[in-house]
This record gives sequence, structure tokens and C-alpha cells, in this order.
Amino acid sequence: MNLNRMGGWVVGTLGVIALLVAPVWLTNSPYLMHLAITSFFYAILASSWSLLAGYAGQFSFGHMAFMAIGAYSAALMGYYVRFTTAATNLCRELSLGGIWIVLLNPQGVTQTNTPNCLEMAKATMPVGAIIMQPPVWAGLLAGILMGALFGFLVGSLVLRLRSTYLALFTIGFSEILRAVISAEIDITQGQSGLKMSPLFPGGISLFGMEFGAAAKVPPYYAMLLLFLISMAIMGWLASSRFGLFIRAIREDEEAAAALGVHVVRYKVLVFVVTATIAAAAGVIQGHYIGIITPNILIILQMSLVIAMAVIGGLESLVSAAIGAIIIEFMLELLRNSFDIGPFSVDMTTWRLVFFGALLMLTLRFRRNGLIHPLITWFSRRNVGQETVANRAAAAAAPDA
Amino acid sequence: MLKLEVNNLYKNFGGLQVLRDVTFEVNGPELIGLIGPNGAGKTTLTNILDGAIKPSSGTVYLNDKRVDTLPPYMVARAGLGRTFQVTRAFRRMTVLENLLVPAMALHATGRQNFEAKAREVLDFLTMSHLTNEYGRALSGGQQKLLELGRLLMLDPSLIILDEPFAGVHPRLMEVIYEYIHRVNSDGKAIIIISHDMDTIFTLSKRLLVLNYGDLIADGDPQIVKNDPLVKRAYLGEDEEEG
Amino acid sequence: MEHGAIFGWTMLWIIFWGIVGGIVTPRVYERRNLDVSQARLGGTAIGAATGPIGLIPLWVFSPTLSSRWITAAGLLIVAILAVAFARADPNNLCVTNGGFVASQLTNGIVIGIIYSLMALGLTLIYSILGVVSFAHGEFYMIGGMVVYYMSVSALFENANPLVWLLGAAVVTFLMGVAFERMFLRVMNTGQIERPKEYAILVTFGLAFFLQYATQALVGANPVKTQRFFPFPNLDIPSQESAWLIKTTSGNIRLFDAVSIPNPRFTAAAIAVILLLMLMWFLYKTWTGKALRAVSQDQQAAAVAGINPNTMNTLAFGMGAMLAGLSGATLVQVFAWLPQVGIPASARAFVIIVLGGMGSLPGAFLGGLLVGLVEAAGTGCIPDTTRAAAYIPAYGMVILTLTLLLKPTGFFGREL
Repeated sequence: MNLNRMGGWVVGTLGVIALLVAPVWLTNSPYLMHLAITSFFYAILASSWSLLAGYAGQFSFGHMAFMAIGAYSAALMGYYVRFTTAATNLCRELSLGGIWIVLLNPQGVTQTNTPNCLEMAKATMPVGAIIMQPPVWAGLLAGILMGALFGFLVGSLVLRLRSTYLALFTIGFSEILRAVISAEIDITQGQSGLKMSPLFPGGISLFGMEFGAAAKVPPYYAMLLLFLISMAIMGWLASSRFGLFIRAIREDEEAAAALGVHVVRYKVLVFVVTATIAAAAGVIQGHYIGIITPNILIILQMSLVIAMAVIGGLESLVSAAIGAIIIEFMLELLRNSFDIGPFSVDMTTWRLVFFGALLMLTLRFRRNGLIHPLITWFSRRNVGQETVANRAAAAAAPDA
Repeated sequence: MLKLEVNNLYKNFGGLQVLRDVTFEVNGPELIGLIGPNGAGKTTLTNILDGAIKPSSGTVYLNDKRVDTLPPYMVARAGLGRTFQVTRAFRRMTVLENLLVPAMALHATGRQNFEAKAREVLDFLTMSHLTNEYGRALSGGQQKLLELGRLLMLDPSLIILDEPFAGVHPRLMEVIYEYIHRVNSDGKAIIIISHDMDTIFTLSKRLLVLNYGDLIADGDPQIVKNDPLVKRAYLGEDEEEG
Repeated sequence: MEHGAIFGWTMLWIIFWGIVGGIVTPRVYERRNLDVSQARLGGTAIGAATGPIGLIPLWVFSPTLSSRWITAAGLLIVAILAVAFARADPNNLCVTNGGFVASQLTNGIVIGIIYSLMALGLTLIYSILGVVSFAHGEFYMIGGMVVYYMSVSALFENANPLVWLLGAAVVTFLMGVAFERMFLRVMNTGQIERPKEYAILVTFGLAFFLQYATQALVGANPVKTQRFFPFPNLDIPSQESAWLIKTTSGNIRLFDAVSIPNPRFTAAAIAVILLLMLMWFLYKTWTGKALRAVSQDQQAAAVAGINPNTMNTLAFGMGAMLAGLSGATLVQVFAWLPQVGIPASARAFVIIVLGGMGSLPGAFLGGLLVGLVEAAGTGCIPDTTRAAAYIPAYGMVILTLTLLLKPTGFFGREL
């Protein structure tokens, strides 16, 4: 066992180092960099969904909704919140000892010619007053808080609902959110979406090199950092008593409660944790892409995350993450359409057909996924022999 | 010293009265059998003691703490452990992890110590060769043993065993007998629910008989056996069926 | 809306007292050792309908909450909302024009019948297999596609539309049977650890697969068939003043007020015939009775010599076929795309949750209700862009509320 565990550490460390230095080779290909960033984004979502569904047994279809809540919180903050050093006396505002948090009034999509309250207040504000868009970290904080809040709400509401009912409820939640975002055009600009600033609007210098706002290297490291942090947090949780309890809850809620496990607390908590991580991923991805639209909430997106986690291995965070990275690359590389004789094969659609079939076949014949069995083979290969050896030893010395 | 007080327990489901004025006490490490024909209210009584359902009226005190208003996990922490009629091992967790759940539910830290304790428990249950196997790989009898092991890790002062002998291999039966005696001599009270009359009469020192919601007898098994009320309501019926 | 605030405040008032009633009432009932199964729903309904006026007596006297009380409270809520709406927007067509309202409601019922047909398929599957098929909408979509491509193929172009329907039925039935055999049968063999979750994911995968397979095969351009059967020209009682029935080939007008387009009327008529056939099958034939027996009690049915595997396959195939047939009748009403199955699935979920999962009458009633709500929603909401975006959400609000307040729906069994 110890050898196995050490092997796991070695492989894991090598993998992380490889991801850290990968930009050295990838940086000439913005396309591959983009793919890598997106694959980390899906890896975060797939692994957090696997914590929710695979470990805790809560098959929620609302994971992308939490992601969207994070992204939209940050985007709305960028649109409607300003930090100033002087009171406007026109807008709704909150004073925090010298700094005012100003809430702008929504403008709608069409009425761009009427100035907002801040524009009008500029005339009366003292000269030299600074007006600042909230920095990216403030949006990230807001996104994380909103993610946690909604995770708590949904987690508390679904306590009594199991399997099918839970799935239906979370689909309902996700669809309602999508409808609200699409419909409240005055605030969210509906289908045209909200623009988000780049992660590092003024550029950033890394390793002695200057990177502009549009460069791919800084977002690569930002997303990678979030990926590694969330994997570390979830890995730690999964191996602590939290992981023990949520798996016990997945197996049998009543038995777990009869053994002293506070089922309600841990069920809500697992929703809060996974929703928070999804929301954080949403904020970073939104800033990286530069725009957020309600289309990230369509069923296809949720299907992708589920399929990635299932094909990787639902009951392992690492397998789900690796599955997500591999599948994201595969999906992109399979985009090239080709012709066979007179027939042209439109791969943009066929790759999804193939993918759906793979999802069904994995569920049917390899319920632990395709990546996970490889990992378990390494980590548990001795258990069978151990059992046999122990039994033989026990039989040889019956008094022991 | 354990003390369980059950006072005037009633339970109605809609119009159906499942328990009627059930009152009894358990003082110290008693070994009690609870019997009654199907539908007598044994499972309902267990579920009320365990906190899974609330009584319509009446109270339950465990070690002078009122527990009938508490949720199951609080009752478990207050010192009541139970098994279920149908085994409920955590199937996709290893045997060791199964045992760690109750220990870690009571204590936030000290996993190393509890792993050591779990290995001792497994030794006692003759299951140490299965430490890292998944629950689903175990036979039905082994899963029952695993549940008993979990109770040892919970370390309650009162244990309720729901049909512990049903469908268990004779060799494992021995282990369960030994378990019961040893746990009992460690100072824990045990209530055994079983259909297996012979075992109950030989094993228990005190017998509770439920019949359609009424507690019709409470006392020494040999005396209860000859109680005319019990004979008519339960044993007589049993003989007719047999 | 001229006075939108009136409506908004009424909504807030209702929601607030609904929440208060939903949270407090179960506690009051529990404390008094009364039946709490209806308390959450009843408290919410009475709170929303009457506010403190009804809630305080409810908490003081805590009467037994019968379904009659809850229905009355529900109707009262609808009435209050209607009045508030009329006050808020007095010039709306829904307020001023009775004929328009009658037309909307009739069309709601007409389309609701077809929704019912589809939801019956889903609830049939659930009652036998204990599985909600997330691919139900895809069978609906494929039913429509089969009809369209038969109607434009050289072979079937001039055939009777009923032949097209038959084609859709056969195709979707066979697909359902094949899927059940390949993927769902293993649920009963104990090879699958968590059968319910497996079924959710595998039908979800099937939906994904079918949707993109269809798109890959036929493309993503919207298609639509001609109306199946044109109406004969009728004017009753007379051509000069036809106030009872007046038809053109594309429309029917009743009582000089209610107007139903031909495709919807035909689709509903076909759906009614299919419903009657389904009832005959379920209640009069041996196989149908066996199906219902399995839905009541799987084990008892097996003892009685009914092979549960056959019943599972049959139920899934029939469920898929009912979805396919509803799609087949509606392809002359709506433009058809590989994606039409998604909202259709969602609607079917709403209906069966509302009616009670596994309940056939529940699915029928739920279908009519959802049809009505959608018709009222589309016809009456003044802001059309917003209305279009919110319509799918109404159903989902109903779904989530039902799951929270009474997960068993109208006629459902206990969880």
C-alpha cells in the first residue's frame, strides 16, 4: 500500500510539473493554449460534479447553474457597481469609510443615450474623485459568495428529494435561471450577453516577461491555479471525515444517521462546496472568454460535464478531471469534417453522436469509467492477494 | 450506569394505533428479548427509540436525557446504537471505512487511533482478513457482523439488535453469541428482536412481549412463557400456525 | 401594463403568505400530533389565498386539511391573480375580449390533450420500470421527423397521413424496445449498483445521442408538414349568419367566438382517438391488465405468471411510441428541429410530477392544466419578448413548487 501511495504522489507531482511548464511549448499555438485553459475549466466542473454525484450520490443537473451564477455575479458587478472616493448623492450607494460602493441603475439594451446616475453625478462630484470599476478579485469574491449562497439554498431545498426527484428539481432550477437571465434583458442584456473585462486588464509580468491583456499565458496559470487549488481542497475533503460521511450518506442515509452522522449538515455542505467551486470556475472562464451569455446553461453544456465525469470515472476526483481534459481535447481535435467519396461528414455534429454513444456504453459496460479502473488497478492491486494471504494465515493459526 | 425510561408511548399512523401506552425501564446492563407477532409494533418501537419517527405522545429518556424529540444522529451520539432488520452495510466502502464512520462521527480527530481500534474489532469478529475489501464483497452474514462491528465503534450504552440471527451461517452465529455476551459483560444493555424463540429464551434474562401495540408482558422469560395472556396472544397463535 | 405595480405587489403578498403558511403550518400540526402529510401544501395554499385572515384560524383550530379545501384555496389564488391582472392592465385583450379568452382556453385544452398523450407515455414507463426517461422528448422529436420524411419521400408521399402516423409509431416503438433490451434490462439483474441513478444517466445519454444523431442525419433546418386533413366547408345554421359552426379548410370557428386552427384540431382529434385506444388496451385486454398489475405490485404480478421482463420492454416501447405519436401529430402544427425534444421533455416532466409520478389520470389532468397555463401565458402577457422567454419557465416553476410542497403530485403514491 505504501509503495502504491508513493507511486501516486510521484505520478501526481510529475503531472503537475508537466502542466506548469507546458506553456513553454504551447505558447506558440494560441489555439492549443485556449484548449488547455478550457479543458481545465471543464476539469474543475467535472471533478466537483463527481464529488457531488459520485461521492455524495446527489445526481444534480444544476451544476452549470452554479457556474453561471458565479460568472453572472462577477459580470453584473462589473456593469453595475463602481467604487468611488466621493459620494454621488444620486445613485444608491454605501459608504465604507472614505470609499463609496455605488450601484448604477440598469440602462437596458436600447436606451443607451440617457446617461446613468453616475454620469449625471460627475458634475457635482469633487474634482479629482476617483471612479473605479471593481477589480477582478472583487468579482471573484462576489461570484464565490453567490455560488455558496445558492449552493446552500438548493442544498437545503433538496434534502427530502432523492434520485429522480432531485434530478428533475435541479433541471427545473437550471431552466428557471436560464429563463430569468434570458428574459430580464434590461439587466442581463438577454441573449446578447454581458461583456467581462480580461483577467488582467492592464497586462501582467510573469517570470520577467510582459504579457498583454489578450495573452493566453496569464489566464492559463490563473485557471491552472484554480484547478489545482480546487483539486487540493476537494482531495483533502474527500480523504477526511467529510469524504467518509458523504459516501456513507450516498450508500444509506438512515444507516449513516443511526451511526451518529449529521446527514443534513453534510448534504447541504457538499452542495455548498461544489457550488462554490463551480462558481469560481465560472468567474475565471467568463473573464477569460470576455463574455457571458445564457447559452452556457443549455442542456448540452451540462451533458458535457456529466459525460466527462462518467467517462473519466464518477467516483474519483482525479479520474473525472483527467477524463474532462482528454475529452475536451478529443472533442476539439475531432472537429475537422472530411469527405468519403460523395458524402461529406460533418464532424461538428458526428463527434457529439460518437460522444453520446460512448457515454451510454461506458455507463452500461464500464460503470467505473475508463480512467478510474487504471488508477484503482495500481492502488488496489494488492487487496485481493492480501485478503487471500490473510485468510490463509488465519486458517494456519486458528487460535490467533 | 445505563438507564432507559420509556413512558406511556403512543403512536398513531392516521387512524391506526400501532403502539398503546408502552411503558418500561432498562436499568444497567440487562439482556432483553423483545418479541411479538408480525405487526405487533416492534419495528415502530425501535424506530421511536432510535429517533427515526416521533411518538404521538409519551417520552423516552436515555441516561436522564430526553431523546424522543431528537433526530437519529443525536440519539446515536447520546448512546443508542441499533442494527437494521435488512443489513445496511455501506456497500461501496471498505470494511475499515465502514467501521470508521461512527467513530469519526463522534470524534473529529484521532483517525489513527480509531483505525487501530477498528482492526481490534475486526479481529474479534474474525474478519481481519477482509479489512480492505468493499462491503459489497461480503456475504450476508459477514455484513451482519460488520454492522455489529460498527456498533462497537460507536460505543453506545444501549444496543438494539433487529433480527441478528436471520439468515446467518451457523459458524458466524457463534461469533454473534460471543459478541452479545462480551458486549453485555462490558456493561452495555442489549435489546434483541427476533423470531427465533429458542435463541431468545436461552439468551435473554428478561422478555418484553408486544401484541398489536400493547406491551402485554415484561419479566423473566420462564415466567412470561407461562403467562396465559402471552400464550393466548402469541405463543398459542404461533403453535396453531406451526 | 399600465399599473404593473398592482400585479407585482399582489404577487409578492401571495408569495410571502404562501411561504409563511408553508413553513409554520406543518410545525403547528406536528406539535398537535395531527396528520402533517397535507400540512405543507395546505398551509401554503391557504396562506397564499387568504393571507393572515385564513392562516390564523387555521393555526388556532387546525382542522383536517382535505383536498377539497386545498383545491378551493388554489382556485381562490387563481381568481385573485386574475382580478389583480385585470386591474393592472385593463386594456389587455384577455380582459376586454371574452371571445379571445374563450379561444385561448379552448386552444389550451386542445394542445393540452396532446401533451397528455405524451406524458401518459412517460408515466406508463415510470409506473412499470420506476424510471423517468430523460430521452422522452427525443422520441417525440423522432416521431415528427419520421412523419415529415415519409411525407416528402417518393414512396409514401401520396399515402394517407394515417400511414405516416403508423410509420412513426412503429419506428419509435422499435427504438424503445431495442433500448430497453440493451440498456435497461440489466437493472433487474443486480449487475448495476444504483439502478435509479444509472437509469437517469443512461436515458440522458440516449437523449444526447438521438438528438445529435438526428441532427447529423437530417441537418438542423426547421421542417413542417402540410395539414393532414383539410376541413370541408361548413356553415351552420346558414351561410349568411353562421354562428354555430363555420369552417374554412384551415380553420374552424365555433359559436362565433372560439377559433381553432385546423392542424391543432386534427392533432387533438387523433390524440383523443389514441387515448381511447390506449384505455381500451389497458383496461380490456389481457396484456393491458397485466401491465397495470405489474405497475401495482411487481412481485405479486410475477407470482401470477406475468413475466416482468416482457412487461418492462413493452412498457418502454409503448411509452416511446406514445411520445412519438404526439410528435407525429404535432409536426403539422410546429416547425420541427432536432432540438424540439428538449422543451417537450421538460413539459412532460412537469406534467407527470404535477399529476403524480406513475398516475395515468394524473398525467391526463396535468396535461390539460399545463396546456391551459401555457395558453393563458402566451395570450395575456403584454410584453411578448419577455413572455416568450418565460413560458418554459412557468412549467419549471410548477415543477419545483410541486416537488417542494407535495412531491407525490395530485394522485401520486407515497415516495
